[in-house]
Amino acid sequence: MTLGHIELQHVTKRFDNGHEALSDVTMVFPEGSMTFLTGHSGAGKSTFLKLLIRAEMPTRGKILVNEVNIAQMPESRLPRYRQNIGVVFQDHHLLASRTVFDNVAMPLRVAGLSEKDVARRVRPALTTVELDGKEGLYPRHLSTGEQQRVGIARAVVSRPKILLADEPTGNLDPDLSRHIMELFARFNQVGTTVIVASHDIALIESMGVRLLHLENGRIVSDGIPILQEAGPPS
Amino acid sequence: MSARLGTSFLVWLVVGIALALPAGLWLVQINMQAMTEDWQGRPGLSVYFGQGATATNIAEAKAVLEGQNTIESVRLITADEALLEFKRLSGLGDALELLEENPLPASMRAQFAEGVDGGVVDGLTGRINVLPGVQEVVVEKTWLERLNDISDVISRLSFVLAVLFGLGAVLVTASSVRLAIESRLEELRVLKLVGATGGQVRRPFLYFGAVYGFGGGVIAAMLIVMTILVIEPPLQSLLGSYEQVLELAGLDARFLIILLLVGGALGVMGALLAVRQRLKDLELF
Repeated sequence: MTLGHIELQHVTKRFDNGHEALSDVTMVFPEGSMTFLTGHSGAGKSTFLKLLIRAEMPTRGKILVNEVNIAQMPESRLPRYRQNIGVVFQDHHLLASRTVFDNVAMPLRVAGLSEKDVARRVRPALTTVELDGKEGLYPRHLSTGEQQRVGIARAVVSRPKILLADEPTGNLDPDLSRHIMELFARFNQVGTTVIVASHDIALIESMGVRLLHLENGRIVSDGIPILQEAGPPS
Repeated sequence: MSARLGTSFLVWLVVGIALALPAGLWLVQINMQAMTEDWQGRPGLSVYFGQGATATNIAEAKAVLEGQNTIESVRLITADEALLEFKRLSGLGDALELLEENPLPASMRAQFAEGVDGGVVDGLTGRINVLPGVQEVVVEKTWLERLNDISDVISRLSFVLAVLFGLGAVLVTASSVRLAIESRLEELRVLKLVGATGGQVRRPFLYFGAVYGFGGGVIAAMLIVMTILVIEPPLQSLLGSYEQVLELAGLDARFLIILLLVGGALGVMGALLAVRQRLKDLELF
């Protein structure tokens, strides 16, 4: 079984109001790949990510993760499935009443690790996102960029095989955005399948990785963008 | 923190009152049952003489009663003794001193032997009723039957109240737990996102419910004990007038433990209700 392999087969998602967020989408994300999803608001990017964590169910089609159709997965197996997926949101969803350490430790405690093992994993995760020494602080003491990095640390602390990010740089300046994307690239280098939904075309194109463009729930392009070099003025 | 403690105390109070009422009625009912069982086999009758009854009339009635082998004991209460007892029980001693003559009649109390037939009681009652000087004969058997009926009513009432108030306690706890859930929705969504099981999400709220219920049980126990302390002196006096001693049955360690456990169970039921309603379709982000 290949871990981190994702395949959508003719997936359609239609909501109760009739809106079709995804329309007969077929795509493959090989294990260890990195892919950006782009498209205007309402193109289907967020719906796609929600389908992958089974926050939504497809109206039609199959979603295979590690060759298992997650749409037919019993509820009892869902927690275990989600423990193997890291998710980063634009507004990070940190818990204001918990410290940075406790926020990052949540997935590990849910998985039943001892406090000793939790500490052994949280600190390196914070080091990875360059937040050493901030574990005792609360989210309100951090900048927006630091909060986003805590969200990333929480998503990767359990070493998931799949990392999903929904507009992770939406609130950040260009330098910070680039830094966040480089973090994702580093996670991908150790074998994590990474899928990032983002508006930031310029940044994505500069990364030189696969780019899937969605429009009105359909894939309109799929490939690695070629950077156009600026030629001499005519 | 203090607001949360205040809310918890209110819930404990509501659950405590909901438990105390049916539990208190249950105590009343089992004690009444104990009393009537004690008197059941040995009914008595009271003979009240008129103001004009002479010593000869009283002696004749006494002799008739003492001559019956179905009568275990006969006790004569003279008019003076009756007045003294009335002064003691009513607290109207000073007012009664103003009376020129004693308005109370002499009376006699006879205790039947155990297992006396109802027909024998009725026959003797009729015989005493027609003796000169006798104004009224009151048979405790009728009174006992009424007491049994009252005990039965209280028993059914306490059952109905237990069901209704128990339901109320469950709903109050459910409402409080639901508020706790609402204040933690963000945390619950994150927990579900990172792979928490249903049990991991629900468990803290079941503990909430149990704490609310146990706290209510403690309050209920305190309310019952306080009520008994308040009513004990007049109750003691009332029973004393019937030559009975107050012996409270049922209020023991087992009763208190059961009260706590029932409270805890009601709290958990309320929490389960809240959790089922609110967390069933909790959406992720």
